[in-house]
Amino acid sequence: MQRKKHYYRAITRRLLIAFFCLSIVPIVSFAWIMKDSVEETNVVKLTELATSTIEHRTEVIAEFLKSKIDLLSMLVSLYPEDFFFNPKNVERLFLAMNTQGDIVDLQVIDVTGTQHAYVGPYRARIEGKKYDDALWFRETLISGVHVSDVFTGYRNTPHFVVAVTDPLKNYVLRATINSSIFNSLLHSAQLGPHGDAFIVNRAGELQTPSLLGKTELSEMDRKLISFENLSASLVTATDIYTARLLDKGHWLLILKANIADSLDYYLRLRDRIILIVIVISLISIAAATCTSLILSRNFERSDREYAALSLQLVQVEKMATVGRLAAGIAHEINNPLQMITNQAGWIGELLPDEDPALVKNFGEYQKAVEQIKHHVRRAGTITHRLLGFSRKMSSQKEKVQINDLLEETVSFVEREAGYNNITIVRQLAENLPGTMTDGPQLQQVFLNLINNAIDAAGQGGRVELSSKLKGAGKLVVEFADSGPGIRPEYIKQIFDPFFTTKDPGKGTGLGLYISYDILKKLGGTITAENRKNGGAVFTIVLPVIGYEPPKERERCSPAESMKP
Amino acid sequence: MKEFNVLVVDDEDEFREMTTKILTKRGLHVQSAESGGKALVTLEHSRIDVVLLDVKMPGMDGIETLRRIRSLKPLVEVVLLTGHASVESGIEGMKLGAFDYLMKPIETEPLLEKLIEAYEKKRLHQEKIDQALLKKHMSMPV
Repeated sequence: MQRKKHYYRAITRRLLIAFFCLSIVPIVSFAWIMKDSVEETNVVKLTELATSTIEHRTEVIAEFLKSKIDLLSMLVSLYPEDFFFNPKNVERLFLAMNTQGDIVDLQVIDVTGTQHAYVGPYRARIEGKKYDDALWFRETLISGVHVSDVFTGYRNTPHFVVAVTDPLKNYVLRATINSSIFNSLLHSAQLGPHGDAFIVNRAGELQTPSLLGKTELSEMDRKLISFENLSASLVTATDIYTARLLDKGHWLLILKANIADSLDYYLRLRDRIILIVIVISLISIAAATCTSLILSRNFERSDREYAALSLQLVQVEKMATVGRLAAGIAHEINNPLQMITNQAGWIGELLPDEDPALVKNFGEYQKAVEQIKHHVRRAGTITHRLLGFSRKMSSQKEKVQINDLLEETVSFVEREAGYNNITIVRQLAENLPGTMTDGPQLQQVFLNLINNAIDAAGQGGRVELSSKLKGAGKLVVEFADSGPGIRPEYIKQIFDPFFTTKDPGKGTGLGLYISYDILKKLGGTITAENRKNGGAVFTIVLPVIGYEPPKERERCSPAESMKP
Repeated sequence: MKEFNVLVVDDEDEFREMTTKILTKRGLHVQSAESGGKALVTLEHSRIDVVLLDVKMPGMDGIETLRRIRSLKPLVEVVLLTGHASVESGIEGMKLGAFDYLMKPIETEPLLEKLIEAYEKKRLHQEKIDQALLKKHMSMPV
């Protein structure tokens, strides 16, 4: 039993594993692959976006700077040198060219660094200042055109300038760029709330404010982005960096896109996938568990049924064998019994011829002959019962009402039961259908079982009889008693011929065997078991057989011919 | 008691012998045969009223012997005796016209009773036939 339990548990476990492998593993791996590929796609898309954005911004910024340089260069080439040394002219020019406000001020400085004209808001601070040692001034004189880094200068605010000099390098025309307008060129380069875009110079100083409000480059950024190493784009775990050189390579435009920002949609998708996977997994686990349990439960049940059935088959087979054996023995014994009868009979025939006066023990001989005959009769009764001879005359079938038959049988024994203070309780279902069966034989069985029940119940005991209809075609009659019950080791052999628990001489051990045999012939069954609340119960199941005229007539003919 | 002729057919010598002794002692004329074939021969040559026939015999069995007896001497009554055979063969024997069947072991008294019953039946039957023959003769002008 323990081994069986173990076996069913193993089946359940194996089924569960199989279901798990077949349902959950594929779903989870699919989800995992989906998640990874979606993430990858996202990075690729974002990289593309960053690249195109930075390309565009680079162009826009380059265009902006170029337009300023072009404007200044054009002014230099349009007007003679004297024109610029007159502040009035410069003022007019400033007003004419600065319609968009992207230039803060305009200055004219001669080659010695002396300022000759200034138009703009910082006149008070800058009037008369010398620029001969300013870095941007010298650069301008050297290269003719210069865009400066951001510096504080005399005005004490960070700014940068675009300056050109005339071909003869007599003066420098300088425009200060409106930082806010320039910076705003980068605003549209911000990809997501954690994205950033800024310009650094070769020293790594921020030329435009970081959109995230950083004041200087982090060590990390510095390491990642350098002027020398300009890969198309650089992907870290959290960010994508792209960079482009600006203004002949002295500035670097850096665009940083945060992967997590653009992951919003992806994250929602991933969450949904995870949720679906969890739900499906839970359903699968529940279904797998249920199915496994049900399957193994079914296995267990059918195994049990099979075991019970084979036990029943063994029992039926055993009874058949025992029956054949008993019949065979009875046959073999009948012949010697006949001989004994004959011999005893012969003595009995001869004895009267003797003279009783001459034979000393005449009376004893006569008595002995009678005793021999008596015991042969006893033995003969047993063999006849075994062979079924005693039931030979009643193979006739008639319509029998089980309840009537029970009542009649009870009436035979009621008086005796009353003497022993035994109560006979009847629980008979009403309106039971009649069945075509052998009434006298069935009554023999009933009588037998009721007698056994009364014997078992003993003084003051209780016998319960019940009849009911099970399904459409089965009559069930139960004979229960309040006795000690059947010892478990006896239950298997209780229907065997000659098996008895009664004292020697009180029972032949044939009653239940014959009952079994009769029921087998009537197409029914008889079973014995112990009740949970004490006592034994014998259950008879009989088929309900309807009236069948042709069969009946056939059966009548031999029966009639049997009558002498 | 009427005297009548009985033929005991059984393959067991001791049974034949004892039954013959007992029945003879009771005043019957008893012959015996150890097989079906011998019984038929005896029947043909002797006057027999009742046959006591064992159902189970080697060679020709009781049922077959019964069938032959019925065709050979329809008036002779047959009582079957069964020890080995089942109820069914007894019933079959009755269908074939046996008077009755008895089960071993059988004591002298019931055996004798059954044989007398059989003989009575045979005798009545015989009487009816004789009367019919007599009527026939009487009606016929001599």
